[in-house]
Parts: sequence; C-alpha cells; structure tokens
Amino acid sequence: MISLDLMPPLMFGGLVLFLLFGFPVAFSLSAVGLFFGFLSIELGFFTEAYLGNLPLRVFGILSNELLLAIPFFTLMGAILERCGLAEDLLEGTGQLFGKRPGGLAFAIVLVGAVLGAITGTVAASVIAMGMISLPVMMRYGYDMRIATGVIAASGTIAQLIPPSLVLIVLGDQLGKSVGDMYAGAIGPAAMQILLFLSFIAVVAIFAPHRMPPLPEEARTQRGWPLYAKVLKGMVPSVVLMFLVLGTIFLGLATPTEAGAMGAMGALFLAVVNGRFTYALLREAMGNTMRITAMVIFILIGATVFSLVFQGVDGGIWIEHLLSHLPGGQTGFLVVVNLFVFFLAFFLDFFEIAFIVVPLLAPVAAKLGIDLVWFGVLLCVNLQTSFMHPPFGFALFYLRGVAPKEVLTKDIYWGAVPWVGLQLCMVAIVILWPESVTYWLDRGTGVDPSTVRIEVPLPDLPEDDAPPVFR
Amino acid sequence: APAIAQGALPEIRWRCASSFPRSLDTIFGAGDHVGKRVAALTDGRFQIRVFPAGELVPGLAVADAVQAGTVDCGHTASYYFVGKDPTFAFDATIPFGMNTRQINAWLYAGGGRELLRDFFAGYNIVSIPCGSTGAQMGGWFRKEVKAVQDLQGLKMRIAGIAGNIMQKLGGVPQQIAGGDIYPALEKGTIDAAEWIGPYDDEKLGFQRVAPFYYYPGWWEGGLNLSFYVGKAKWEELPQQYKDVLESACRDATLETMAKYDVQNPQALRRLVASGTQLRAFPREVMQACYRAAFELYEETAARNATFRKVYEPWKAFRDNEYQWFRVAESAFDNFVYFMHAQEQQRR
Amino acid sequence: MGPLFAFSRGVDRLNAAVGKLADWAVLLACAVSASNALMRYGISYSSNAWLEVQWYLFAAIVMLGTSYTLFRNAHVRVDLVYGALSERGRLWVDVVGIIVFLLPACVLLTWMTWPFFLDSFLRDEGSPNAGGLLRWPVKILMPIGFLLLTLQGLSELIKRFALLRGIRPAGEVVVEYERLEQ
Ligand code: NA
Ligand code: NA
Repeated sequence: MISLDLMPPLMFGGLVLFLLFGFPVAFSLSAVGLFFGFLSIELGFFTEAYLGNLPLRVFGILSNELLLAIPFFTLMGAILERCGLAEDLLEGTGQLFGKRPGGLAFAIVLVGAVLGAITGTVAASVIAMGMISLPVMMRYGYDMRIATGVIAASGTIAQLIPPSLVLIVLGDQLGKSVGDMYAGAIGPAAMQILLFLSFIAVVAIFAPHRMPPLPEEARTQRGWPLYAKVLKGMVPSVVLMFLVLGTIFLGLATPTEAGAMGAMGALFLAVVNGRFTYALLREAMGNTMRITAMVIFILIGATVFSLVFQGVDGGIWIEHLLSHLPGGQTGFLVVVNLFVFFLAFFLDFFEIAFIVVPLLAPVAAKLGIDLVWFGVLLCVNLQTSFMHPPFGFALFYLRGVAPKEVLTKDIYWGAVPWVGLQLCMVAIVILWPESVTYWLDRGTGVDPSTVRIEVPLPDLPEDDAPPVFR
Repeated sequence: APAIAQGALPEIRWRCASSFPRSLDTIFGAGDHVGKRVAALTDGRFQIRVFPAGELVPGLAVADAVQAGTVDCGHTASYYFVGKDPTFAFDATIPFGMNTRQINAWLYAGGGRELLRDFFAGYNIVSIPCGSTGAQMGGWFRKEVKAVQDLQGLKMRIAGIAGNIMQKLGGVPQQIAGGDIYPALEKGTIDAAEWIGPYDDEKLGFQRVAPFYYYPGWWEGGLNLSFYVGKAKWEELPQQYKDVLESACRDATLETMAKYDVQNPQALRRLVASGTQLRAFPREVMQACYRAAFELYEETAARNATFRKVYEPWKAFRDNEYQWFRVAESAFDNFVYFMHAQEQQRR
Repeated sequence: MGPLFAFSRGVDRLNAAVGKLADWAVLLACAVSASNALMRYGISYSSNAWLEVQWYLFAAIVMLGTSYTLFRNAHVRVDLVYGALSERGRLWVDVVGIIVFLLPACVLLTWMTWPFFLDSFLRDEGSPNAGGLLRWPVKILMPIGFLLLTLQGLSELIKRFALLRGIRPAGEVVVEYERLEQ
C-alpha cells in the first residue's frame, strides 16, 4: 500500500524514467500523469471525476493569449533565417571582428538581449535565436557546445530583461508591482549580459579554435567597402528589431502584438530585398506550425502531470519540505535557491511560481527580505531551471530546432558552463542586494499619515423641501 | 442524542477551486476562511481545501468545473460567466445596481437567492453568497475624462457588462492578455484599466504608469462573491454540514467587508502620498453611462427570458431599497460627511 | 495488412491536409494581431472579437497541427537513450510509446473534451467580453485535434509495426526523429 505522502516523490522519479525512455516529452509527461492518476484513483486519493479537470486546463492553455508570442517570434525567426537576412546580420558582426575570434558569439548575446527585451518569453526567444544563429555558427566552424550554449543562454536571458512575462508572474505572486520588478531586474540583467560577454572573451583568448573568426576567403574586403557591405547587411535586421521594440515603446503594440509586427516586418523586408518566394513563406509557416504544436503540447503534457501532482497533495508535500528551513536571511536564501534549483529539474516555471513562491514569500517577508530583491533573485535562479540538463525547457526547445548533426549530448554539455555563470549571478545577487534595490523607486518621500484627501462636499438637500407623501 | 448524531457524521474532504490568486489575500482569503471555519466547527471532520486560480483549473473555469463535478466546490465572482448567460451577473453585481448592504438584503432576505436557485440548478450549481468588496474604484487612467466625448475612442481594459456600456458611449473595451496590461498601460497602448479598490490596486503598481485614479467604479457599487457547490455534492451533505457551510460563508462576507474597510483607506493614503491623483467621474459622464446601462438591461430582458425573470423583481426590489436608503441612511451619511468635510477644511 | 495500410495512408493524407490549414493559421494569426495593433493605434478602432480571433487561430495552429507534427516525427524527445539505439530499437520504443503513452491519453482527452464542447454549443455560450465571439468553434477544436492525433497515432503504429515485421509500409514513414530546421 502506497501512502499519499509517497506519491509526489514517486511521481518525480517516474517522470525521470518515462522521459529517459525516449518517447516525445509531451506524451511522456501526460503518460506519467495518467499512470499516477489511475494509481491514485485505485488507491482512493481522488475519483475519476477529478481527471475531468483536464479539458478545462487544456482550454486554459489554448486561450492564453500570452503564448501567441511563440508562433509570432518563431515566424519572424524563420523568415529572417530563410531569406538570409539573419545571416547577413551575424556575418556583418563577424566581418567587423576581422581575424579576432568570438565575433559571432558576441553578436548573438547582444541580439539575444535585444530580442529578449522584446519577447519576454523564453520559448519564443530560444527558438528564434536557435533558428537565426545556429546554422550560421555551424557554417563558420564553431565548436558545437559553444554554439548551443551561447544560444540557450542568450535566449533564457529574455526572462530577466523587462518587459518579461516571468517578472510579471513573479510580481503577481509576491504581491509586488510589475514596475518595481522591472526596475529591480535592470541591474542583474546588465551584469548578466556583461558576465556572458566576458566569458566569451575569455574563451576567445584561451581557446580561440572553439569560436573561430570568419574564414580568410569571407574577409576579402577592407576599409570603407567592408563597412558599407557590413552596414548593408546588418541595417535591415537591426532596424527591424528596433522598430519592433519601438512599437512597444511608442504604445503602438502590446508586447505580444509586437511579435506579430516583427513577423510581418520580416516578411516585408524579405519582399523589399527581393528574397521573398512562395516556397520560403510555406516553409516558414510549416516550421512555425510544427514548433508551436510541439511546444504547446509539452505544456499540455505538463498540465496533465501537475493536475495529478496537485491531486496527490504535492503542494502540501512541498510545504512540509519548506517548513524546516534555517533562519537568518542568507541561510534561508541559500537553502531556498538550492531547493528551487533542484525542484526545477521536475517542475516548470509556472508550477514553481504558483506552488512554491506563495509558500516562500511570507517567510521571506518575515525575515525582513525585500520581496522585489527576492523575486529578482528567484528569476535569476529560475533561468537555470530552463538551462540545466537533462530536463531544461530551453534545452528541449533548442533540441527541437537544432539540425540533426547537433547531438543532444552537445546541447547538454554546452549548457553546463552557462548554468555555472547563472549560478555566479545568483551568488552575486544574494551577497549584493543593492544590485537590485539600487534601481527601485524610492517613492515621493511623502508620509501617508500627513496626506489630506480632498473630496468635494456632498450636496445637502434644502431644508425647506420636505418629503412628499401621497 | 446530539453525541450519537455527532458520531454518525461522515468524514468529508472537498477540493475547492478559487477564481482568485493567493496574492489577492482578502478575496482569496474569503474562500480560505470558509475552509478553516468549516473544519473548526466540525472538529475537522469536514475539510475543504482551497486551491488558488490555476492550481486545479484556470480562474475563469470554476463554473465549468463545479458544473461538471470535477471539483466539489468553487469560490468565484458570478459575473465572470456572463458569456454563458448575462443572468449570472445578478449573483455578483451589475453596473448601477445596488450597494453592499442592499445586495446582501436581496440575497439573504429579499428573495434573491430563491430567484436565482432555479437558474443555477440549470448548471448543477448551488450558489452561496461568500464575500464582498464594497464599492470599487473606477480604475487607472492615463488621461482625464472631463466629458462624455472623452470616452470616445478611450481604450480601456474592462470586462463584462461594463464593457458593453462603455462601447455604447464610444469607448473601446479591450480584453488584452493579463500579462500585457502593465506594459500596455505604461506605454499608452491602452488608456485605462480597472481592477478592484485601493488595497488590491496598490499591489499592481498602476499608479506608476497612469496618474489618474477615478471613482466610483459605477459598474461595481458592491460586489458579492459566491461559493459554488455542485448540486449532487450539496444534496449528499448532512444537514449539519450544510448549516455549517452556510454559516462559514456568511462569516466570510462580514470578514472580507470589514478587512477591506480597514485596508482601503490606508492604501488610498499611501497611493495619494506616492503621487496618485484622485478624480471623480463627472456627473454628466455617470448620467450617460447610467442611461446606457438601463437601455442595455431593457434590451437584454426583451430578448432573454431568463434574464427578464430575475431582472424585473430585482429592479422592483432595488426601487424599494433606494427609496428607503434615501430617507434615513443617505440623509445621515450625507450630513455627517458634509460636516466632517467642513471641519477638515477649516483645519 | 492491406486494409490497415489503406487506413494509414488515408489518415496521413487527411492530417497532411489539416496540417496545411494549421500552417495558414500561423500567417493569419500574425496578420490579424498586427492589424489589431495598427488599427487601435491609428484610428482607435479595436474590438474584442478581433482580439479573440487571435487566440482562436492559435488554438487552431496547435490542435489542427499536432497530428501532422506527429506524422513528421517532430515532437521533441529526450534522446539520450533513444539516440543511441539501433533503428529497430527506436521502432520498438515508438511502438510501445504509442500504445502505452500516446493512445490512452489521446483517447481519454477526445472523450473528455467532447461534452465540454457540447455544453458550450447547446447553451450558445458567448464571450464574457463586450462584442466577443461564440465559444463553441474554438472548443470543438479540442475533440477534433485529439481525435486526429489518435488516428495519426494508429497510423504510425501500423507503419512501425509493419517495419518491425520487415514489410515496407505503403505510406511515407518518418522513422528518423526529425529536427525541424532542415
Ligand atoms: Na524580456
Ligand atoms: Na472592478
């Protein structure tokens, strides 16, 4: 007889086994869910009726407009890649670097940051980056592990750069304003980009063969003709990205709609550059459709898993684990971060945000931890949840768009150093809270108790107008 | 005899799907409060565990889940389901409807629940009043609304029947995605968005991006939240548990209203201190909206018999309440607020 | 195996056709969303109906596209073990996976989503938002999508089973797990 409190850990173990079996992730997730679901019905933890919540949850995913960012940015990436504009952009940077190594990698981190500022959705960002840059890096002889690592890392940074869905959801769960979360994320986001760039610089110095410069024959021009050519190649894509970012800043489009503007803009660019063909459009649409279906079905599979996880009191199980945390700010933060890091092997971001964060927030507040700092810290930590092998969502997505010459092993090993860098960021943010709080709005300094709220006087009826009886 | 009856009572464990996130501690808390009271009053034999929106089902799927019996019960605001039938709104609130006291009078003692019982039975739901917000605020605006023309082309995130009224006056109700609201309001993609009242609104931080905070939220002069129980589940329940659950819900109604009335004034002070500018909707605007609202109800009643069946007695009840409240309640309120305001100004 | 192959080819063709619809839904969703933004900004026109069209199309991409995605073997896997197996080994993983993982879930979800659609259809359920759309057209996508996925699962099962028995199936079979960018 299996007792209820054994079920959550058993489900995690089952998940590992089912996923390693090698059948598609989406169906493996739902299969673990259903397996434990039927087991729970057999053991009386819930009835068949409980599984009837599935259609409602699936419909909840289909009606989540924020997920539209995935097809939108994927289509943009697919068009830019297929019409060669993406290659022009990245090659242009490579040209500027001349015979110094690492140019492409630098460009990708920067492009990833700009794209991240637009999308806010890791799936969209990783997929678009993978489509745009992986083929180019492979062509120029990049070490496969460097290539996949740079892409996954520069895609996941989307969640730290405002406007980011992850920050919005965390702010909501912590009861903190989105504006504060955005402001608090600025410092760590900038540091993270710098850290990534420095890592590339170090690799470029000590292992230049892993990120070679453009080959000699691709670097025939020098001086002004080179700059002109580079400009011509880079300008369209750069302008497109800033236009898309601009539509958000001008108030023309919501962040989700900005993705659609980007896709239409990419189509427009392809037409203007004379590279548009019907075949290109069909291929881009087809790819986008399959990637979208693939990604969303992973979410559908995950929702089956987590419904059953809730049904066997998984939330309570986590609560018990958390009830033995050590006191003291730093001790608490270290343990919480380790805990979330390991939990993220099994649960996706939304599960962590909805189940774990509401349990942690009151404890953190009691210890005098600034909740914005705490939220940004969790956000930095959660990046690793997308990145760590073998079950990081960013790695699944990258696997989905990577050509078959890229081995899964390369994707996993490629992610490792970047997970390390992200953990360094976690440590920095823990030890240096000002990196977050420095940017927070200090308010007006007005003491609320001195505020006088003037509301116009109510009308008093005239005394000489008596009520009428009829 | 009571001891024997006590012993015969079964152990029951229910799952309750809330439409609200945990961070809305007051209204999510109403459901949670019910769970705790019910357990306390039955010696832990009747347990209701409340799950925040999304943990079992999405917040807007609570009616579907209770109807299908996939959860035992739910905690929600009935107007979320006006797409199924506008009659749902009467169980929550309708624009220019009644205030909290009057809503409670209608539901608890004025025949409102009886009127709605058949309607809810069509969805296999027993709906119990469970929580109030009081009169809400009109939301956050990037620009001022000084006249009815200012509603022309005003892009506002506002749901349900109030959206229909705005539309009648040339407004553009926009149900953009939840996560897009803050950035959209910040950059002016939309002009306004509404939420609840100062205490809950403060946490969203809209004061940063839209300086004008309007009142009153004429579409929610009082909001009743509801505890939904599946009809079959309700019928299975021993009478004592039914009574306990009803009491716990009444308790929650008082509890939420009391909490909001303590928290809202403090939060409003903080908001004003941080630079929020309070604005009242001009009378002309309110009048136009009022007329549009009742036009809409008459239209709806003409085409939807279910709606009409509740609307007509509801309206008669409201007439009666308004007449009474204009006598002692409003005379008292107006007078004391007037005197108080004068004293404040003199200071 | 004749009738089985005929069934399998029929399903493949059906899902290829439905998949094309899903392809176009991608472009349409983008166009609608971009127009929504432009119209709102340019002439302050917007409607909840057009905002809802966006996610109706998104639902169509996912639910109508998933069976063709399965046909193309493009649902992502953790292929640490799978990648190291022989072709026969991979076929076995697929056969077992389809029978034990895929089919039960898809049959169950087809069966459960149908009444969910039906209730919405019979009640003429609309949107809670001013000017929004009827809900059943998007809700019916769920039973349709899961049914098509069940059928495609059967088709893939037939083809792989034939391969294991050394018979070349009549229809196209994507054995190598496809990476999308090719
Ligand atoms: Na972002
Ligand atoms: Na409101």
